[in-house]
This record gives sequence, structure tokens and C-alpha cells, in this order.
Amino acid sequence: MNKFVGKVGIVEILVWIFLILVFLFTVTPIVFMVCASFMDSRQILAMPFHWIPSSDYFTSADRTFFTNFVKAIMGNNENATFFRNMFNSFVVAIVDSVTTVLLASLCGYGLAKFNFKGRNIVFMSIMATMMIPFEAIMIPLYMVVSGMDLMNSYRGLILPFMVSAFGVFQMRQYLLTFPSEYLDAARVDGLSEPRIYSSIVLPNCKPVIATLGILSFRNQWDNLLWPLLVAQRETMKTLPQYITQFSEEKMTDEGAMMACAFLASIPMIILFFALSRYFLGGAAVYDSRKG
Amino acid sequence: MKKNKVYSIEQQQARWGFLFTVPCLIFFAVFSFYPIIYAFQTSFTDRQVLSRNYDYVGLENYVYIFTKNNGGFPLSNSIRATLIFTIGTFIPMIIMSLIIATFLMQLRRDKYRGFFQLMYYMPAVLSSVVAAAIWMIIFDPRGLMNQVSNFIMRSSGVDYNWLVDPVMLQVSTIIIYFWKYIGYFVILFITGLAAIPSTIYEAATVDGSSRWHTFWKITLPLLKPTTAMVSIMAMLQCLKTFSTQFMLYQGGSPRAPIDVITMNIYFTGIRNGRLGRASAMSLVLFVIMLVFTYLQLVANRSSEDVEY
Repeated sequence: MNKFVGKVGIVEILVWIFLILVFLFTVTPIVFMVCASFMDSRQILAMPFHWIPSSDYFTSADRTFFTNFVKAIMGNNENATFFRNMFNSFVVAIVDSVTTVLLASLCGYGLAKFNFKGRNIVFMSIMATMMIPFEAIMIPLYMVVSGMDLMNSYRGLILPFMVSAFGVFQMRQYLLTFPSEYLDAARVDGLSEPRIYSSIVLPNCKPVIATLGILSFRNQWDNLLWPLLVAQRETMKTLPQYITQFSEEKMTDEGAMMACAFLASIPMIILFFALSRYFLGGAAVYDSRKG
Repeated sequence: MKKNKVYSIEQQQARWGFLFTVPCLIFFAVFSFYPIIYAFQTSFTDRQVLSRNYDYVGLENYVYIFTKNNGGFPLSNSIRATLIFTIGTFIPMIIMSLIIATFLMQLRRDKYRGFFQLMYYMPAVLSSVVAAAIWMIIFDPRGLMNQVSNFIMRSSGVDYNWLVDPVMLQVSTIIIYFWKYIGYFVILFITGLAAIPSTIYEAATVDGSSRWHTFWKITLPLLKPTTAMVSIMAMLQCLKTFSTQFMLYQGGSPRAPIDVITMNIYFTGIRNGRLGRASAMSLVLFVIMLVFTYLQLVANRSSEDVEY
């Protein structure tokens, strides 16, 4: 017995050491970003590196710990497009996650709870679009959007991501387990089908709505490629574009770059700690694909 | 008479069911099926961004992208860069996330496991451009990475040229991507591991199986469906990579070593305005992804039916 406990102890310690090393690997760069956003470039690139921001490294007298943030917000042209671009990112991400939730739940409900002719064909063709990656159709999409005169508009940014095949699939899987008795009871009570969807089905999908909404929000918040194609006017750009441009011009101002990255990440970090359950759940639901 | 009425109600209901799917059907028709057909059509034309007129040129675009230099950035180089990146990222990613997930499951308290999961997942929350921006500074010649590397390698003052040397640049993109997504794949594996009933492990312990033995003989075989699914996902995701490479290029790194297919499509189609050629490249990417998915499905078909 004693021997057994001793053996477990060693394994346990090794496991902990390994897990802490991985922890350092994933967290250190984020801590670095936060610390560096308060530092002067001289300190960021000093050898050896000191983690605590210090005014000893300041190169000019009017520099404060927040100079980097002012620079990040004022941007390349000193016109504070940062806020405008952040606003654009919010608009695109929020609208797309709301439409994704609504359209995917509606379609998933139709596929899970109704027996209409051609249901399997509808389902299979929606699943087939998962095999068409956005990256392979972005050029024709660009031609479509510019043909519809939607360049540099919210509609152009939002339209191609209004719903995803994966969202439909996830909603369908979730609703398959939803008891049909509730729906029948509502029908007996004389509720119309759209009413049943809006007042019975939707409110009962809250967990899957949260995961899907967050997933879609995060994907759009992270989207760089599509805005690069359709948003060429400064005022219509989104945050990832802003960061790319800013870092291109302020390549030698590492502190400002990190402040910019930090500011752009704050909304997601807040969202993550507030709703981490749904973030982690969002990763895990992919697993239900096989079932 | 009565039966007839019931039938018509059901029919009415069925019509509602179809109606509910119509918005999505229209969406996918317009924004998925039509564009891929449009891409196919455009790939046979000499269409450019600035002119509305174009001619059909047959297979000329395909001949061009496979044989010509494309201004110093041929498609063959892009395919090479994409494959190196994909293989270099997804194999270590699958192995490491499986190991980390197994180790996490060894922790006795859920509280600790939850904490580690949260911390491992954090990088996935940041945008790809933010991830690339952070690492660009860490990889700076005077940055942290050289300091750490010199410490580990017991060398002093060596610059590993993380963002300049063609080989190191590819390693750098792999490290950035690995860092960003490792937590995500750990969670996928944890979900798979948690689905294995604990009774199997209890039986193994009673039979005197060591942890090592249990892992190879029980965990790994039962985890095959999860591994198959996760590796398809990881691979497809790597094949589509764009933001990391684009950000590094904008930051001053050479383009050729990290000129992945999506980046080449962007530069050929949008920056140089060659929509026909870019469409041909898009279809090549599409076919590569189809082939990879198919191969994975075939390779894993035999192992799909695992029952606990």
C-alpha cells in the first residue's frame, strides 16, 4: 500500500510539472502583451527583459504609462479611426451572430421536427456546403458583392456570414432530443407554427443559442480576410484590419503595437471570463458531429 | 372523412417545416453553391478587377498557375508552403493535445482541471492578428524568444532569425498557430476522454493494469473516433490559414516561405486584380481540401464503430 502511494506521488508530480509548463507557454505571451503595452520600446527590447513596466526606460519627458494607448487609439493618421473600426467590428459580429442563431434555429427546427418531402435532400445539401470553404469562394463572393454595389457597406461585410451549415447542424441535433409532446400540446391549444417556434422552441434552446452565438461572434471578431476584400475605405474597416495596418506603420513602436492589440482584445477577454462555460462548450459541441 | 382531415393537418404542418428551412436554403444557394459554380466559370476566363469585359480562354489559367512563375510567387510554392505548414502544425498539435488532455484527466480535482482548461484556451480567444502581433515582438532579434532560446541552448547572443530565415519563419508561423489553438484541441480531446465510461478504467485497475498499459490498450483505441474527427478539423483549419502569415508579411517578413494558398489567392485576385487566375487557384484549394477530407474519412472508416 505504501509503495503504491509513493508511485502515484511521483507520477502526480510529473503531471503537475508538465501541466504548469504548458500553462506558462499559453499564458506568458498574453501577460507579455499586457505588460508591454505600458512599456517604452527601449524596455520591451532590453536584455535581459524586465516584466514590470518602469519609467526608467522612458525616452522622452512627456511620456507616461498610457502614451502607448493614446497612440494606438489615434492611429496612423491621428484621426482616431480606432473607435470607428471597433464599432464596425461590433456591428458585424453582433448582427451576424443574431442572424446565425435565428436562421439556424429556424432551419434546424424545420429539419428536426417536421416530416416533409425532400427533407433529407435539404439536409444533405446544407451539410454539403461545409465542404465549400469560404477561402475557396471569396473571389466569386467578392465579384458578387461588388456587382451588387455593396463594397464598403455593412451589408457587404455581414451578408456572407449570416448563417453557417454547422450552426444548422448543431441546432438540428439539439432539437432532435426536444420532446415533441410540448409542440403537440401547443398545437392543440391552437398556437400557430411560427408562434410555437418563437415562444416554445427558441426559449428552450438557450444553451445552444449561447454557444452558437458566441462562436459566430468570435469568428467575425477575428475575421480579417473578408473585410480586406470588401472594406477598403478607412471608416468601413474592422479591427483586425486596423491592427494589421497599425503594426505595418508602427513596426518600430512595439509598445504602441501591444497597446493596440490589448485594446482590441479587451471585449473578447471580458466576454470569455463572463461566459467561459459557453466558450469551452462551443469547442466541445464539435464532438457531437460524429453522432 | 375524419382520416382525410388529419392527413391535411399533417400536410399543412409539413409545409411549415419546409418553409422554415427556406431562408437557409436561399442563403446557401446564393452564398455557397452559386459562388463555387461562379468560381469554376471564372477560372476559364481572363477576367480582371477593373474591366467588366472578359473572354473565355479555356484552360489557360490552369496552365499558367501550374507552369508559370506568377511574378515570383508560383502556385507550386504556395502548395509546398501550405502543406509544410499543415503537416508541421497538425501532427504536433494532435499529439500534444492528446497528451495534455490525458494528463488533465489524471488530476483528481475538477477545480484544477477547469482552471488549466481555461488558461490553455485563453489564446484561442484573441484574434489571429493579435496573436501574430504579440509573437512578432517576442520573435524580434532582441526579443524574448532569442533570450529564452539562448538560455536553453546555453549559447550567448545568437540571433535565430525567427522572422527572416525562410526555415525559421515557417517554424515561427507554426509556433504561433500551435499556441493559439492548442487549448481548443485539448478541450475536444477532453470531451472524448470524458465519454469513456469510468467502469472500464475501474475494471482495468482491478485487473492490475498499469496506467501506461491502460493508456495504450484502452484509452487510445477507444479514443479513435475522436482522434479522427479532431485531426480532420485541425487539418482543414490549417489548410485555410491566412491571418498569421499575412500579418507577418505585413510586418516585414519575406513572403515566399509563408505564401500559403489563401494568401496567393488574395494577392493574385485582389492586389493584382487577376480574378480568373485567382479563381483557378481557389478551385485547386477546394480540390485539395476535398481530397484530404476524403482520405481521412477512408482511413478512419474502419475505426468508426466504437461502442463502450
